[in-house]
Amino acid sequence: MAQLLNADVTKQLEEAFAPMQEAVEMMFFSQKDGCQHCADAQQLLEEVAPISDKLNLTIYDLDDDADVAEKFNVDKAPGIVIAAKDGDTLSDYGIRYAGIPSGHEFSALIQDILLVAQRDSNLAPETRDFLKELTEPVLLQVFVTPT
Amino acid sequence: MAMESDMVQAEAVAAGEFRELSQKYNVSGVPQTTLNDGAANVVGAVPESNMVAEIKKIIS
Repeated sequence: MAQLLNADVTKQLEEAFAPMQEAVEMMFFSQKDGCQHCADAQQLLEEVAPISDKLNLTIYDLDDDADVAEKFNVDKAPGIVIAAKDGDTLSDYGIRYAGIPSGHEFSALIQDILLVAQRDSNLAPETRDFLKELTEPVLLQVFVTPT
Repeated sequence: MAMESDMVQAEAVAAGEFRELSQKYNVSGVPQTTLNDGAANVVGAVPESNMVAEIKKIIS
């Protein structure tokens, strides 16, 4: 398959990733049957991962690796988890993508990688205080289209 | 927000690839943010303070 990222985008990503301080793990979940966009999504991440030595990519299968998928609350393919990686320890920040991150979503994915790399949400202090006191689960699903 | 609390999970869903789920939550305009399986739905970009307000509404 042809490269998805052209030289310009690769160069922009090199610049964007240059300040990354801590390592980030991209967990990619594929599925063998009926996943129209899994191959493209996997290829996209396989092109992004080598751009920074702080980025790591591991490929999973939603069915074969059901235990990992359950642990990280992944129930869709293609599915992506952006986690913090400290040595061999992964910290789940609850950030997931369902579907191929193309168009605007590609930018959002890169922004999430950079947030996790700095281990900081950039949120206002009052928002952080509110979130720290949450005792009930909150699932935020943002429906998007790639344009 | 998911970074700041273990209670919060955030998922970006490609509406076109997961039509069943999109239909379940009546997604017509994007972005649409659906909280706790339809407890609240917000269409359009949601500023940080508005999202806090939406979460406050759905928790007791």
